[in-house]
Amino acid sequence: MPPDSGVMANTGEILAVRGLNVSYGASKVLFDVGLSVAPRQIVACVGRNGAGKSTLLKSIAGFLKPDSGAISSGPTRLVGLKSYEIARMGIKYIPQDKKVFSDLTVRENLELGSYASKDYNWDRITDYFPRLKQLMDRKGGYLSGGERQMLMIGRALLGSPKVLLVDEPAEGLAPSIVAHLKDVFGELSKNTTLVLVEQNLPLVCAIASKVYGLKEGRIVAKLADRESIKPDVCERYL
Amino acid sequence: MMNAIRWWWGLLLAFSLLAASRAFLPLPFVNEVVIFSIYTMGCSFLLGRVGFISFGQPAYLAAGAYGTAFYLFYFGTDPYVGILVGILSGLAVSGIVGPLFVRLRSDYFALVNLALAVIFYYLMQKVLADITKGDNGLWFLTRMSSTPVLDISTPSHFFVFAFLVALAVWAFYKYLDDSIFGACCLATKINEDKLEFLGYSNYRVRLLAFIIANTTTALAGALYAVYLGFVSPEITSPHRAPDPVVVTILGGTGTLYGPLVGAFAYTGMKDVISKLIGNWELFIGFLLVFIMLAGEKGIWGTLQPRLEKLFSGRKDRTAAGDGAEARR
Repeated sequence: MPPDSGVMANTGEILAVRGLNVSYGASKVLFDVGLSVAPRQIVACVGRNGAGKSTLLKSIAGFLKPDSGAISSGPTRLVGLKSYEIARMGIKYIPQDKKVFSDLTVRENLELGSYASKDYNWDRITDYFPRLKQLMDRKGGYLSGGERQMLMIGRALLGSPKVLLVDEPAEGLAPSIVAHLKDVFGELSKNTTLVLVEQNLPLVCAIASKVYGLKEGRIVAKLADRESIKPDVCERYL
Repeated sequence: MMNAIRWWWGLLLAFSLLAASRAFLPLPFVNEVVIFSIYTMGCSFLLGRVGFISFGQPAYLAAGAYGTAFYLFYFGTDPYVGILVGILSGLAVSGIVGPLFVRLRSDYFALVNLALAVIFYYLMQKVLADITKGDNGLWFLTRMSSTPVLDISTPSHFFVFAFLVALAVWAFYKYLDDSIFGACCLATKINEDKLEFLGYSNYRVRLLAFIIANTTTALAGALYAVYLGFVSPEITSPHRAPDPVVVTILGGTGTLYGPLVGAFAYTGMKDVISKLIGNWELFIGFLLVFIMLAGEKGIWGTLQPRLEKLFSGRKDRTAAGDGAEARR
C-alpha cells in the first residue's frame, strides 16, 4: 500500500491527499497517491521529470479534476472547488514556469494579489525580497528568472496563505538565489505550510521535514525524519 | 502622480482638439466621429484589454438604437429618457448573452457574436417587422420633444451633448485602465490560469468586462438613434460587423486614444476617398494589411512613443517610467 493511502486524516493535518488518481485524457498520470501535511511543515515531493509532481500540485490547486480520490484541508474537501476558490481559502499555487503578468508592473502584480486577498501590507514581502522594492515600476516581462520567482512567491504570500504549493522553485536559478530562497522558505515555515516539488536535492534536504518519492505517478517512499532526508537517499527517486 | 496628471491633460487636449475641429469641419462629420469613437471604445477594450475579438458589435449597437427608437416611436418624446432606455436595453442584452458567450474561447466568441448580429438583423428586418417597420425603419425625428438647456434634437446641441458623453466615457475607461479591474482584464488576457491562482474568477472578470463594453456600444447606438431620428435594420447589418474592429486596429488596439484617432481616420477616409473612388472599402482593406505588416500598432500605437519622446525627451527615461507608460 502506498504511504498515506487510504488512511483516515490525522487531526493535525492541514492538507491531506488520499487515493488520488489523475489522468490527461486516456493517459493516467497519478496512481493512488496519498500525502499528509501537518501545519508549518515543509513537505517536498521529489521525482524525475514526468513522475507526476506538477500534476499532483495542480490537482491540489484545483486546476486538474481528479478521476478519483480525496483532497482535503481540515474539514473542507477541495475536489470540485474552482481553483480561485481554493486560492481564496489560502492554498496558493506557485507554478513552475516563472511567468508573471508580463504587461503589468511589479507593483500592479502585487496589487492584483493584494486586492484578491485584501492584504495591502507589502512590508513582509519586501523584507524577504528587498530587491522587489527597487523593481516596483518595472514590467514583469523585463524581470530576470530570479526576480520573477521572488515576485511570484511575494505575491502568493499576500493574505498570509496557510499552504503554499511551490512547483520547482529553484529550477534555472543561480545558486545565490537558491540559497536566498532556502532562507526564505525556512523563515516562511514558521507561519506557513509549504509543499514543494523540487529536483534540487541540496535545497530539499536542507529544509524539508518530510519527503515523498514519486516514481511513474506513484508514491514509492516517504522519508519522515530528518535523519533519513539525505541527498544520497533522495537521489534514488530521481 | 505626474504621470496621471499628464494623462488627464492629454485627454483634455485630445478632446479640445475635437471640439476645435467643429469650427472647420462639417457638423455631421464630427458628430459621426464622436459617436463612432464611443462605438469603438467597447470593442477596443474587449480586444485590447480582455483579448476578445467581437464581430457582433452591431447587435449591441442595435440593442441600444432600437431601445431608444421603440421608446421614442411608441411611448414617449424625451430623447434623454430614450437614451437611458437604449443603455438599459444594451445592458439587458449583454447581461443575457454574456454568461453564455464569455465561457467561449476567443475565436468562437468572435463567431458567436457575429451570429448574434445576424440574428438581430433578421429579427429587426423580418420577424419583428410589425413593430420595427422592417426595412422602412422607425422614424421619430419630429416626435422628439425639445429639452431644456441642451436641446439634443438639434444637431449642434447634440454635438455638445455627445462630446460630453464621449469625454465621460473616456474618463471612465481611463479609470478602468488604472484600476485593479483593468489589471485583472489584462491578466486574464495574458494568462487566465495564473489569475485564478491568485483567487480571481476569470469568468466574472470577463463577464463584467463584456457587459461594460457592450453597454458602451449600446450607448453609441442610442446616440445614433437620437442623432438620426431614425433606426432601420441596416444598423445591425452583418456586413458592417467588422467596422469597429477595423477602427480599433486602425487607431491602435487597447490604447486610450486609439478609438478616437481610428474613428477620425476611418470616417475621414470614408468621406474623402468615397468621393474619389467608388470602392473605398478596398483602400481601407489595403491600409489594414499595411498596418498589420508594419507591426499591428495602428496609428496611435505608432505615434504614441514618438510623441512621448518629443514631450518628455530631455528627461532620463527610467525603467520605472517605461513600465508605467508602456501600458497606454
